[in-house]
Parts: sequence; structure tokens; C-alpha cells
Amino acid sequence: MGAAPTIRFDPASPVPAVRQITDSLRVQLVNRQLAPGTSLPSVRRLAMELGVHFNTVAEAYRQIAAEGWLDLQHGRGALVIARALPKTHPHDWVEEFRDRLHGLIAQVRAEGAAPAEIAAELRDAAKVVLRS
Amino acid sequence: MKLALVCIYTFLGALMFAVPNMTRPGILFAVPVPADFREGPIGRRSITIFRGLILAALLPLVCALLFAPDRVLGPVSVAAPFLLMLVTGIGFFWQHHTLEPYAVHTQLPREAVLSTAPDRLPWFAWLAAGPFAILTASALFLQANWERIPERFPVHWGANGQPNRWSERNVQGVYGPLVFALELCLWFVAAGLASWFGARRSHLRSALFGCLIAIEYMLGLLFSIIAINPLVSFPVWAIALSPMLFVVPVVIVMIRAAAQPSDPPEPTPDECWKGGGVIYYNPNDPALMVEKRFGAGYTFNFANRWSWALLGSLVLVVLSIFLIV
Repeated sequence: MGAAPTIRFDPASPVPAVRQITDSLRVQLVNRQLAPGTSLPSVRRLAMELGVHFNTVAEAYRQIAAEGWLDLQHGRGALVIARALPKTHPHDWVEEFRDRLHGLIAQVRAEGAAPAEIAAELRDAAKVVLRS
Repeated sequence: MKLALVCIYTFLGALMFAVPNMTRPGILFAVPVPADFREGPIGRRSITIFRGLILAALLPLVCALLFAPDRVLGPVSVAAPFLLMLVTGIGFFWQHHTLEPYAVHTQLPREAVLSTAPDRLPWFAWLAAGPFAILTASALFLQANWERIPERFPVHWGANGQPNRWSERNVQGVYGPLVFALELCLWFVAAGLASWFGARRSHLRSALFGCLIAIEYMLGLLFSIIAINPLVSFPVWAIALSPMLFVVPVVIVMIRAAAQPSDPPEPTPDECWKGGGVIYYNPNDPALMVEKRFGAGYTFNFANRWSWALLGSLVLVVLSIFLIV
């Protein structure tokens, strides 16, 4: 049995805390590191370990639940549920994806990341996507 | 008795002397600094000045305790710990302000394991029941030997070793110290549970839990000794020194655990440390207790209302001594 997945939060990042936690959870859900039937830690425990307010984690859980990844049952925590990935996207996702990717690249370049490092990360990401 | 007092205050002085080594390498006098800063010239100079102040206060105090006439021994022994703490406080805040320009304000990324494994208490948690058994056994011993207890017996001794406070053989006088110890032990159990479930998972958390249990034993044994003393007559110096059996190991364990951490630093933002890095106040942090930046161990997050409830209950427990004993 592999190690339990971890979630990362960078308080120095300009990206809001809710967005960081949501993105981190979504990556693990899409990659099936968090499989259906897995329970997530309570809002209180995760907030304490990350050192963020309860509401930040609760909002991240709500956003992920709204996307269909989680079942939030009062008093029973957050349960990962099976969610089929749509076969086709309802609108032209390529353009939106490209815009967001270019925006992200511009952002990290503005923060000082070297183009070669960015390119290497993109290559690694492409390999992961092709494997999945 | 003089020697016992010298031992206690020398230990207290050594404790103050070790203050710069009680925090992880990235914290010096509650200022976040590079990990190798304390080995550098500025860090070393700062530590030397601080320790020089402690020695300047400790040496005259020890001489006064050893050579002062009996009539001034009482005031000197009462003033000694306060003087040591005052000098430590002055030295600490002085060096804190001296080092502030060298502060490195970094906020490291944090990671949390996405696990729902229950946050179980450590295996040794059951030992917390021991002091209650000791207090119960002491009460039963007193009950069984009630007729042997003198009508009037000492419960407090001055610095010269002579008793200065007595109790009488009645329920309050005989069982009062045990009831007071029971309250204190219950408080320490509550504090232990609060520190376990109200702090982030780390090795230091286990060390703190163990130390709180050790303090519980110290209190249980000390007050049991005081309670059964009318029947057994322990030497006064032994009663005075008995807490050291627990305090010394507790201090060593906490200093070692805090100064050589195996966990990443606590995610406590620098701007939330007030009062020279001594008080932590962060309404956005759900933790009840966080790793200290001054001394070894944990401190309260004063933005968490449970910290006030715990501190308030401790004040009530301490004040109850006037009703109980």
C-alpha cells in the first residue's frame, strides 16, 4: 500500500489559498490518487495542519463537491465519489486551456522562473497526461 | 536547607542560561534567522551578552543564599526566582530587539497528509491515571491511620527549614493537599488532551504530552508527601528537592525535542507573534497550541477562545487553594 497522498499549500504564493487547495485536490482526483470511496480529512484537521482558517478548507471542499468529485454529508465528512470524465467538452476547451496555460506561464515568468525550467515542467506534465 | 535552595536556584539559572538553545536553529530570541546564524559572530555575541546577564544575577544570588544570615534568608529565597526571571526577560527582549534587523521573514510551503486515520493518543497516555492512584492510595493511608495523625502538624516550611504554617486534624486539614493536587492533575490531563488534539501533528507534540504527564506525577507525589508527612516525617530538604526528580528530565526532554526538530517549522506567520515574539495571536489559525519561539515547548494561540478557557480554569484551580487547604 502506497503512502497517503499529501496536499501542498504555499502561503507566499499570490494564488489564493482556496484556489491552491482546490487545484491540489483536483490534481489528485483526476490522477486517481484519491480513488472513489476515499474519505478526506475533516475540515478542522486539514485546516489545522495547513494553518489556514476552517472556512478556507470548507470552501475548497464545497467547490470540489460542486464539480461532482465529493459527497459532503453533514457529520460524516467528505467522501470521494465516482465521477465519469465527460467524453467531449461542451465548448471549445482548447482555446480556454491555451489562454489559461499562457497566463500561468506569464505569471511564473513574472515571478522569476527560468524559461528552461518551465519548458521542462511542461514536458513532464505532458508525459503524465499521456500515461493517464 | 540552604544547599537545597542553592541547588534549586542554580538549576533555575542553568535553565535560563539554556534559553537560546531551546528553540529550533532558525529561531534565536524569537527572531526568525538563518539556521547557521547562531554560530556566526552576531549570533554568538548576542548569546554571550544574554548569558553574561544571567551569570551576573545568579552568582551574587547563590553567594547571598550561602552566606546570608538566617533572618534575611527568607526574603532572599523569595526574591531569587523573580530576580532571575526579570533578568532573563530583560536580556531576552534586549537581544530580541538587537537581532530584529537580521530577521529573515520566509513563509515555507506546508504539506498535509490526506488521511482520515484517527489521531490516537500516544501509547503512554494511560500513565496519566497513575497520579490519581497515588492520591487515592495516600487518602486511604491517611484514613486508615487517622488516630495517629497529630492534632496539629506543619504543612509549609520557610527558607530556614522551620515550619511556618500548620493545619489541624480535620477533613479539610488532612485531605486538603490531596484535593488540591487532584484539581491540578485534572487540569494537566485537560491541558495534555488540549495540546494533543489542538496542535499540529509533530514529534514535539508527543514530547509535550509525556512532559505534562511527568508534571502530573510530580504534583501527585509532592502533595501526597506533604499530606502523609504528619505520619512519616520526611526531611524538609527532601520535600523541597523532590520536584527536581521530575522537572530536570522534563526540561532535558523538551529542550532536546525542541532544539533538534524532526518536523518542518510551524506555519505561524511572523506578524502574528506579538510582545517580542512571546505571544501568538492568529484568528486564521485553528490551532490551540503552537511551537514556542521563546523557550521549549508550546504556547497558546490567544485568538482561540479555548486558550482563555484553559488559562482561566488554571487560575481558578490555583486560587482554590485558599478554600481547600
